[in-house]
Amino acid sequence: MDWNLLGLSFITVFLAELGDKSQLAAIALSGNAKSAKAVFFGSVTALILASLIGVLIGEGTAQILPTRLTKLLAAIGFAGMAVKLLFFGGEAEEEEEAA
Amino acid sequence: MAQPETTPSPAAAFDTSADIAAPVAPSKDSPLEQNTSQASQKASFRDVMSCFLSTFVTIFLAEIGDKTQIATLLMSAQSHKPLTVFIGAATALIATSLVGVLLGRWLSKVLTPRTLERVTGVILAVVSVLLFIDVAGA
Repeated sequence: MDWNLLGLSFITVFLAELGDKSQLAAIALSGNAKSAKAVFFGSVTALILASLIGVLIGEGTAQILPTRLTKLLAAIGFAGMAVKLLFFGGEAEEEEEAA
Repeated sequence: MAQPETTPSPAAAFDTSADIAAPVAPSKDSPLEQNTSQASQKASFRDVMSCFLSTFVTIFLAEIGDKTQIATLLMSAQSHKPLTVFIGAATALIATSLVGVLLGRWLSKVLTPRTLERVTGVILAVVSVLLFIDVAGA
């Protein structure tokens, strides 16, 4: 095991991800979710899978999954969640509607 | 004179042993408790799965082609040791996620529910704007 390389990759990725979109999303989602553990595992699985694909396929990801399209879908998803929380009051509103 | 005092002690010991053996009655309650806990587990399992899936899908889509992915790809290509780079990157990602989730938990304790909803809404809006900027710039 090349410990220098391991340390380098850890520090690089850790610094790159601190305060990045995915971490902000994890903060936001876990604060409001019923299960923080589920958010944690969802986030970790997604990130690790994305890295794994990056390591395995390399530049080929762009051909298999068009980056702009995936980012656009994610942006729409997050925007939808934000709108729901800001204008429709999230949980409380849902329960009122159900009642 | 000391003997009458010593004789009750075995009896007392039996009494305590009887007390220890006594808790059989609560087992009648336990099936009920199991039923209610199972029912709540079913409801919470659906919640947990929806939490997990929504988090997974959004973050996965956001991270594809992101700078982290590019960094790991470059490092593994340079070093020819993809496994080492992957382990390092994966550990770092677990660490940042943990920090994020712990921050979120802390926020949810500190803020009132309505404020928390507003704050998380704003954060998610910022995330989506950042992604839109990425899309426009890509």
